[in-house]
Amino acid sequence: MKRYAYYMSCINESMTKELDRSIDFWQKDLDLEFVKLHEGTCCGGSNLDYVSPKHFALVNARNIALAEKLGLDLIVSCNTCLMTIRTAKKKLDETPALKKEVNDILKQEGLEYRGTSEVRHLLWVLVDDVGLDTIKSKVKVPLKNYRIAPFYGCHILRPSTVLGRDNPLAPSSLDQLIEALGGQTIPFEHKNRCCGFHTLLVAEEESLNVAAEALEEAINAKADFIVTPCPLCHTVLDGYQSKALKQAHIDSSIPVFHISEMVGLALGYTAKQLGIKRHIVC
Amino acid sequence: MNFRKELINHSLMTETIDQHQEGKRDVTFRVFRFNPQVDSKPYFDDYTISAERGITVLRSLNYIKEHVDATLSFRAFCQAGICGSCGMRVNGISKLACTSQVWEELDKCREPGIIKVEPLRSLPMIKDLIVDMDPLVDKMKRYSNWINSTMPLAEMGKKEFLVSEEEFHRYDKATDCILCASCVSECSILRANKEYVSPAVLLKSYRMNVDSRDSIHDVRLAELVKDHGVWDCTHCYRCQESCVKSIPIMEAIHAIREDALECRGPKDTSGAKHAEAFMEDIEKKGKLVEATLPIRTNGMVWTLRNLLPMAMKMIVKRRTPPPPPLVKSSKGIKIFRAMFREMTEHVKQDHQKSHKK
Repeated sequence: MKRYAYYMSCINESMTKELDRSIDFWQKDLDLEFVKLHEGTCCGGSNLDYVSPKHFALVNARNIALAEKLGLDLIVSCNTCLMTIRTAKKKLDETPALKKEVNDILKQEGLEYRGTSEVRHLLWVLVDDVGLDTIKSKVKVPLKNYRIAPFYGCHILRPSTVLGRDNPLAPSSLDQLIEALGGQTIPFEHKNRCCGFHTLLVAEEESLNVAAEALEEAINAKADFIVTPCPLCHTVLDGYQSKALKQAHIDSSIPVFHISEMVGLALGYTAKQLGIKRHIVC
Repeated sequence: MNFRKELINHSLMTETIDQHQEGKRDVTFRVFRFNPQVDSKPYFDDYTISAERGITVLRSLNYIKEHVDATLSFRAFCQAGICGSCGMRVNGISKLACTSQVWEELDKCREPGIIKVEPLRSLPMIKDLIVDMDPLVDKMKRYSNWINSTMPLAEMGKKEFLVSEEEFHRYDKATDCILCASCVSECSILRANKEYVSPAVLLKSYRMNVDSRDSIHDVRLAELVKDHGVWDCTHCYRCQESCVKSIPIMEAIHAIREDALECRGPKDTSGAKHAEAFMEDIEKKGKLVEATLPIRTNGMVWTLRNLLPMAMKMIVKRRTPPPPPLVKSSKGIKIFRAMFREMTEHVKQDHQKSHKK
């Protein structure tokens, strides 16, 4: 059994609850145990780092320190949380004075940021730790006949100086997972492009244009569904889909799945169990 | 010494001969063509040439122009990654043709052996691989991206400006920009709206705004926070990833935002309000209160007009974020809050120190 500390992203506790619930179904099947960090706080969502760089360092040093206390790596299932926490880790590891300042405060809670726990994405755990062969051997309902468009999103790839797992120009981990589950991954130009999430509330029209481009490509390529490792990308591509396509004058639709749901389907769980019916487009 | 020199020369010669023997192959360049005076729409021409290992995409294009097709148009000058003239998309990615190795590009081809060469995106096309840089120049003007000296005219030339090492490091990397427009071409928001300020312009604005010799920081900042300005960046990091000089462009964009929050306050624009909401929520609950985020960013009227239809669908699907009282605080919030506030005191002290300076 491989154990990990699991970071609870704000969005997975509100709008995309089905993501974490799906993991609960299959984690034992893959010999995994995710210990949820209920003490964890919002990472700052790629905003706190410029609102207050020092609070950003404190909050995320604490998030990582909670995992370090358990002696486990910190696993994240939201791209932006991943990028944000890894950015903070890099800053802390490169700036001893900041690390000391933060640790002096964290003492109050009996915590210390040491830099010993890695911060990794759920997708990387599946591909690198569980392994594609093991995943293949556990598949009960292969996703054959499904044409799947892999949408990686930005913050699992860029900045590559912080992420570094996949080649940001030609990522492959999600494609590999799809194929291990028996699905057919399609060539998808937008696989490493943006969903527009972070400007939805300040530049909505631009964000929806960005999303519509990706949706249009998947629809034209006759994909059966899009899969994404990020709940923020999911929120745009699923929740805002009809608005985005309407703005782009496209009369069509396409379902969008979380990776946790796609894994669940292949491991024999039903769409209802996995919460796929909670999606806006299904 | 002579022996060592000879040895180095010999090894260099052997290396060249080896490369020559092993490293030569036919490569096809699939080049975007469009002459608006003649063509009704763009098309691609294939040029197959014999290319040696070590040759760049620009050298190949020069060869094609000199020996195969003199009508092919592209911009180039220094051929050494300094002038920024030969920005174009090679195998789909915006970069300099003069620093792109053909051999490395061969590994990235979608169709084996065929290197695709296209003009930069998001700038008007002039001919073939040449784009019009004027919109970028116009934006540099709109955001006053030059130093407006703090020194009175009468003192010019009589006195030196002293710049501290600390200050220099703040804009050292930003001055590496060669205006090749690769970041402009890769920008997600510019692709969606040509009015957007664009990453190269933001980088330059940052560089000017942190320069103590400049007197128009406030004017520039006031322009930057307007529509299509700094708050419209969607944090996709494509600019930074494509920068041919590895400049951390997002750090510059974040720094402008940090500056805007400090100088203009957290209630200045919807972008500022949106960013500040994260700080408020984390301090209060440790979690983001998503339900009220649109209202706090854009007000009730905007929220009702823009999000009501979607909210109805979300209610039906039971995926609406919980209202504020039902957002559960992180476990151990009290001690977290105390630590958060202690950091607030640190930040205040930092500000006092930097203002004293």
